[in-house]
Amino acid sequence: MLEVDGLRKRYGDTVALDGVSLTVGPGEMFGFVGANGAGKTTTMRIVMGVLAADGGEVRWRGRRAGFETRRRFGYMPEERGLYAKMRVAEQIEYFGMLGGMGAEAARRSSEALIERLGLTERRGDNVDSLSLGNQQRVQLAVALIHEPEVLVLDEPFSGLDPIAVDALAAVLAERTAAGVPVVFSSHQLDLVERLCDSVGIIKAGRMIAGGTVSELRARESRKRLRVVVTGAESGWADRLPGEIISKTDRPPHGDFAQAEATGRYDEVILTPADDQEVLRVATSAGRVQHFGWQEPSLAEIFREVVA
Amino acid sequence: MNAVALVARREISVRSRTKGYRYGLLVTAVLVAVLAALPKLMGGGTDYTVGLVGTQTDRLQAALTAQVQPGADLTIKVTRYAGEAAARKAVADGDVEAAVVENATVISKTVVGRGLSVILDTAHRMVATEENLTAAGLDPAKVGQAQQVRPMKEVTLNGSGEDATVRTVIAVTIVVILFMLLMQICTWVAMGVVEEKGSRIVEILLTAVRPWQLLAGKVIGLGVLGLSQILVIAAVGLVAAQVTGAVPELPDGTYGVVAGAIVWFLLGYAFYAAMYAAIASLVSRQEELSGVLTPATMLLMVSYLIGFLAVQSPDGTLTHVLSIVPPFSGMVMPVRAAVIEVPLWETGLAMGLMLLAAAVMLLAGGRIYQRAVLRTGARVRWREALSSAS
Repeated sequence: MLEVDGLRKRYGDTVALDGVSLTVGPGEMFGFVGANGAGKTTTMRIVMGVLAADGGEVRWRGRRAGFETRRRFGYMPEERGLYAKMRVAEQIEYFGMLGGMGAEAARRSSEALIERLGLTERRGDNVDSLSLGNQQRVQLAVALIHEPEVLVLDEPFSGLDPIAVDALAAVLAERTAAGVPVVFSSHQLDLVERLCDSVGIIKAGRMIAGGTVSELRARESRKRLRVVVTGAESGWADRLPGEIISKTDRPPHGDFAQAEATGRYDEVILTPADDQEVLRVATSAGRVQHFGWQEPSLAEIFREVVA
Repeated sequence: MNAVALVARREISVRSRTKGYRYGLLVTAVLVAVLAALPKLMGGGTDYTVGLVGTQTDRLQAALTAQVQPGADLTIKVTRYAGEAAARKAVADGDVEAAVVENATVISKTVVGRGLSVILDTAHRMVATEENLTAAGLDPAKVGQAQQVRPMKEVTLNGSGEDATVRTVIAVTIVVILFMLLMQICTWVAMGVVEEKGSRIVEILLTAVRPWQLLAGKVIGLGVLGLSQILVIAAVGLVAAQVTGAVPELPDGTYGVVAGAIVWFLLGYAFYAAMYAAIASLVSRQEELSGVLTPATMLLMVSYLIGFLAVQSPDGTLTHVLSIVPPFSGMVMPVRAAVIEVPLWETGLAMGLMLLAAAVMLLAGGRIYQRAVLRTGARVRWREALSSAS
């Protein structure tokens, strides 16, 4: 288990981290979410020992993580760093050997990763001749080569096309399946929602929410009901019991031809006082096309808690 | 393999693969070989062709060839002609550079070259004097003996005898090569530091190796490259000088001087590499590098200029003192040692002091590097880099 406990960091007068704590269990994928400058990168750099904290500590398997422990972590920094004039395979092997592998083991592991990440044809090319997406794959290979016990990835998905995103996600899933805790930061909240077992939201150096995505949803106080009715008289929605959050008579995708055939289109999102009463009002007003609880997306939760 | 060796190996393999390194080494080696062989190459004109006409041709020819010292870089080819007309034609056609008729007239197209003129004049005087003395009733054999004069021995007051010129050439070569190599390799160290810092590779590297290991590996790797360069240059220079016979005999102690220069390179390199690395770690972009390196480069330049000064006045007060004071000693002492005999204790003292200075610089540079290398963005101030909080 990777434990980050009460990290504090200040740069001059600005407080970057104000007691950040998080826990990532074995095989858990942890999504680290927050606005720019909220403290994600600072936290990750402290976890990797690249930056010293003013207070708090990082523990791995219950022990304070020192240099030798962190050598077994894999890291992908926010600003990508590779030797421009070094060949792909050679570079990946080099980092493997720095991570403590023998030459032969590094070579084999590097070949496997190159194959896995679709870099086979570029293995002998200098890194600076690669596309950004491919450079990012090399960067990931560098983080993975020494079969790390923990993965810390700062914005690993930024700038990747959907296929590369899937490839990367698959590789990460493999690692978590092998019991490796993975921490990654991202602004692509749909991706975080899809991939992560748990999520932490950081704001101005403090963790303001955390847990599994469903836990976060459960904490969401207002439950939202989405009702779609066609062929109703205008003004019917006023009779709905509860607080209306949004209301529209524009059919989705501007499908007015469809609306013409079925009559007026109404979509209402509300926090119901009595959901059964809402259903009764809706069926009596017109034809109910949709009636269901609406799960807030991570993006909505994020906006809400950060606001 | 340990981390330092890994880092060093990477520096060597990546840097030696660059075109700049390969061509640089090739060009330098060729340059040194040409320099060493230059006297021989330039001496191509010392093949003289002379035409002779008249009754004294046997004696003239003997007098001409007698001037060719064994081992010297000079040949005189003599052709005999039946009469003045034939000789004139040969000169006009360029078959011979000059023709001597009856040991009284020299025929040439324009003015006889200075070297050949001296040779012809000497031969003319020898034969004519012999003629006159014999005519005055002296024994021709004794006259011949009397004419056997040994050339003068040269003694130079500034420098060590007949080798002074050669020693100067060696000293200049040493100071130029030391300067060029120190400048080049230390710049590589600085650029490497900024490359890693600017691209943030250093963040990944430092999760796997400690800062001092990274720095040591870089300095050692590039130092090995520099050393191999200086060894190649020294070997090429010495071999070229021997093979071409440009320097029939290198002055006593030349090999010692060259070996000393290599030791001085290593000491100077340790000092300047640490300094360059520390300074480079303060900035994040290559464009900022030359500005921030200026003081260090100035120091290197001043050492170089004083080293040059030492070629001319190896025992001047300034050069004498600075040949012992680090870091100037790194370039001044090898020059002094090449030009004159330097007392052993002075060499020992200078090396000891330089070693100490290099050790201090390595420690201080390592600390600055460690503190500054992860602080990307704005230039790190000296005060911040040196303060104890990191």
